[in-house]
Amino acid sequence: MNLFRSEEHIVRWLGGREPGATISAAKLAELAYAWWDDRIAPDWRPHTREQNQAILERLGLTGEFWQLP
Amino acid sequence: MDDSDLELRRRTYAFFVEHGRAPAAAELGESDEVLAGWRRLHEEHAVVLSPATDELRMLNPFSAVPTAYRVRTGGRWWYGNCAWDAFGICAALHADGRVETSCPDCGEPLVVEVRDERVDDESLLFHVLVPAARWWDDIVFT
Repeated sequence: MNLFRSEEHIVRWLGGREPGATISAAKLAELAYAWWDDRIAPDWRPHTREQNQAILERLGLTGEFWQLP
Repeated sequence: MDDSDLELRRRTYAFFVEHGRAPAAAELGESDEVLAGWRRLHEEHAVVLSPATDELRMLNPFSAVPTAYRVRTGGRWWYGNCAWDAFGICAALHADGRVETSCPDCGEPLVVEVRDERVDDESLLFHVLVPAARWWDDIVFT
């Protein structure tokens, strides 16, 4: 789960491996705030799979690649 | 996850945020009890232990060991386990900050400022190699 300069850099880094998924840094920030915002809250409870999947879907991260187990 | 494990997790995170480092088991109570609790939390993916030592490796989004993702926020340096976690540190601390890393391909330094939940360089790209269904198969690799 890395940050890259551009698509060209991702392709070169993959070196022929199957690509995963790529999103913008702006989308990543949205994802990070939705996912981690409550992590040190004193009343934190574990997210359910459904809660986490809903976060991904709300941000448009859908399809088989983003399906949690 | 029962209430006592949730409380141990809360105290573990509170120690990390206060001191900027992971606690040793003995700093939170009777060592064997704390370690047993951490192992249960590890199984629930609520913390990550180093397999060889039972020391805390990750308190996601924080890393207890240095990584390629350095974060400046709240007057202190932190490490994220990956790019997602690096921004997650600003989110968890509810603070603006700066993420410093380098492009894994070319090694060029990348610096991103986070202000009001937004990044100042939206041209950068985030790549996830492992599908979500397998993230926890090997969380350190992921």
